[in-house]
Amino acid sequence: MLEKTGIATEQDLAGIMPPKERLAQGPVAVIECFQRIPCNPCYTACKRGAIQEFEDINDRPVIDVDKCNGCGICISNCPGLSIFVIDETYSDTEALVKIPYEFLPLPEEGTFITALDREGKAVCRAKVHKVLNSKAQDKTPVVSLIVPKEFSMVVRCFSIDDFYSDNTIICRCEEITLGQVRELIRKGYRSLDEIKRISRAGMGPCQGRTCRQLIMQEIAAATGVKMGEQRMSTFRPPAKPIKLGALLGGDDHE
Amino acid sequence: MNRTASAVIIGGGISGVAIAYNLAKKGMKDVIVLEKGYLASGSTGRCGAGVRMQWGTELNCSFAKYSIEAFERANEELEYDGDIEFKQGGYLIVASTEKEEIQFKKNLEVQHRLGIPSKFLTPKEAKEIIPYMDESKITCATFCPKDGHLNPFKTTDAYAQAARRLGVEIMTYTTVTGIKTENGKISGVQTDKGFISTPIVVNAAGGYSKHIGELAGIDLPLYPERHQILVTEPVAPLQGPMYMSFSMNIYLQQCPEGSFIMGRGDADEPHDGNINSSWHFMEEMAKTTCELLPLLKKLNVVRQWAGLYCMSPDRQPLYGSVKELEGFYLACGYSGHGFMFGPATGIVMAETILGQPTTLPIHTLDKDRFARGEEVWEPSVV
Repeated sequence: MLEKTGIATEQDLAGIMPPKERLAQGPVAVIECFQRIPCNPCYTACKRGAIQEFEDINDRPVIDVDKCNGCGICISNCPGLSIFVIDETYSDTEALVKIPYEFLPLPEEGTFITALDREGKAVCRAKVHKVLNSKAQDKTPVVSLIVPKEFSMVVRCFSIDDFYSDNTIICRCEEITLGQVRELIRKGYRSLDEIKRISRAGMGPCQGRTCRQLIMQEIAAATGVKMGEQRMSTFRPPAKPIKLGALLGGDDHE
Repeated sequence: MNRTASAVIIGGGISGVAIAYNLAKKGMKDVIVLEKGYLASGSTGRCGAGVRMQWGTELNCSFAKYSIEAFERANEELEYDGDIEFKQGGYLIVASTEKEEIQFKKNLEVQHRLGIPSKFLTPKEAKEIIPYMDESKITCATFCPKDGHLNPFKTTDAYAQAARRLGVEIMTYTTVTGIKTENGKISGVQTDKGFISTPIVVNAAGGYSKHIGELAGIDLPLYPERHQILVTEPVAPLQGPMYMSFSMNIYLQQCPEGSFIMGRGDADEPHDGNINSSWHFMEEMAKTTCELLPLLKKLNVVRQWAGLYCMSPDRQPLYGSVKELEGFYLACGYSGHGFMFGPATGIVMAETILGQPTTLPIHTLDKDRFARGEEVWEPSVV
């Protein structure tokens, strides 16, 4: 299949995935090189000797994940753009995926893009964490993306447009679009609570489970105030919707 | 940031922004509103947002009538780019005792004298307005079709935007830390962002009004009292008017977007500024609602919250100047009806600050009425 489509299958990937225990320890290189060709810059680039010496220059690279510290030097050195560094310790819910990216324009740090899988299908929204483009990258810039952890082994490229458009509904209960939220931020409503109260975003049955994060992301993108430094809204009972009749207790089991 | 203002209004709720708007409209320059959170983050944004003309004293009836008529015109008058969402579905106020019925008849006389279109209803007539109510629980009701509900965030926003266009500066996330006086006169306000020299300070701080009084060295007979509300998921339109009972201690209405908002008073609520939620409220609210309006037991509650009433000894506002401290004005102590009096507060306070005759009489609502034994009791509150 790989020969026909150029897209690695699950079977191909199974042989090269770092073990879970290693991923839990910090950043590590994943080499998605499946074709025997005469090529070995990854081996010569790695200063830690984590990529084993090639017996035959046509061999596929073999990495010792315990020697690899995820420094990422090999990423720009691979002419096939097939090396990535994955850091699943970035946060409780997010991972960093470092991707070689040879298109222009380069994304700006802090902006949101559309993360793509190996086939080029849109997967999720991701934030650009860093863009490395110094002499060391030798015109193969390395872009690191913050992606939800479950997509750390799915996201392998991106398109520079935001996954969300102004028409994307980000509060599904109250049907508030991203465009409406952006307009409110422009008008000077700069906290989650202010936006909630003026627009009703987050007032519906789910009480902001989805939109809370998304609105805070937008505030962060527009104002530069990090999500962790923003004012949270108050969490109030009930934790999930409950019928008035159920609060009575007694015989009513509707 | 050290600066000068003609007047500093403390509190970015409906009262503060309405006073600022009216002062600026009357030509006062350099008016500053100070708000420690964001606009409507205190009592205004936490209230039930019902507005009614059906009161028991002439004073409250006329303040309410003025305000409701102002709300009817507000979108145009304030040139608001949004909508304050004023829905006039009426208030159905039910009586459950004979004593209450006698009081309601007295209230109606006062209301009719002022041209308020309220009317007396038998339980059967009341049931025609809210078909799923248990009419056996009531003896009679009154109904006024002009009463209703509006969005407190947007109403405050409308006043704030109009005030800003007239040159008012609104400083949010700014906390007042002191009030400076010289020779019995106001000379300035200290905030966490700097000092503002001003001869006039208006205390419109809602639940924190007593504290602001203390900063000025004026003891106000006020205390904050927690009140709680819950809101349900939105459902198809079921109920036009507000349902309210003083003796059974409940108010309950369906908002224009479909959710039901309901609250009740409780004698045991804390008086210390606590605005946490209590389980007791949720249970009591469910009990009362399911008894009076059984159909509603199927509604899902999505949230409860709490805010502060600024209680005064006679449950009536404190308006106007303070004789011990020149330049210090009060617009507080609403005891639960500050939001609905917003437009009236705005106009009478602006007039009194500028030394003009007031549109509505406020001379009986000064701070010293309690010392004189001249309280103005309102019989009809939750």
